[in-house]
Amino acid sequence: MSENVEKVECGIDARRRVLNLAVSTVLLETGFDSADKMSLETLTEILQCFFTEIGNSARGFCELSGRVEPVLNDIVMGLMNMGISIQGIEQYAARPNRHVVQPPQQATAPRT
Amino acid sequence: MESDNGAGHALSDFLMQLENYNSSIPEFVVAYYLNASGFESQDQRLIRLIALAAQKYLSDIANDALQHCKMRTNSQVTQSSKNQKGPKEKKYVMTMDDLVPALQEYGITAKKPHYFV
Repeated sequence: MSENVEKVECGIDARRRVLNLAVSTVLLETGFDSADKMSLETLTEILQCFFTEIGNSARGFCELSGRVEPVLNDIVMGLMNMGISIQGIEQYAARPNRHVVQPPQQATAPRT
Repeated sequence: MESDNGAGHALSDFLMQLENYNSSIPEFVVAYYLNASGFESQDQRLIRLIALAAQKYLSDIANDALQHCKMRTNSQVTQSSKNQKGPKEKKYVMTMDDLVPALQEYGITAKKPHYFV
């Protein structure tokens, strides 16, 4: 019974699960050995909120200047507006031993 | 003003480098959340840039939390070092005690929920 419920939840929140994985990867990279569930969920929520907010704000800036497709500047303005510094992002991108979360395998439908 | 222009140029150069880059946060997940909030772009590089910015932000927070954690465990070790022989291998565990002050520095107020499932 409980297994069933868990499976249903996984189906709904597949993307959140991937975000959870990504947060864990970043934490591991930072130097943590483990994390409790609550802080992991908090960070996941922050990340989810971050994407929604930047999407909203970049679209706003884009439409304000009469464009349909967002450009780099819209995103930079959005990030600035949120108070997030992207200074040193190039060094961060080129950091050694970075981990990459593999995209999940496509599940094949069981044959009956 | 000049430095701003320089930064803008550097960033657009950097965007070119993102052509063949894999960020830790999978792109399709980022794209889903962006699309959900009305942002739609054909340019994968922009999505990668957002993923990278988010990851850096997260990493900064985690780094702060780690410093808090180290300080806390160090003070605990010095208190209890008398009854333990030799320092064991330290394990850093992220808890809300470390995360809350780290988030506070970034202007995020996190509170422990009464119930957590």
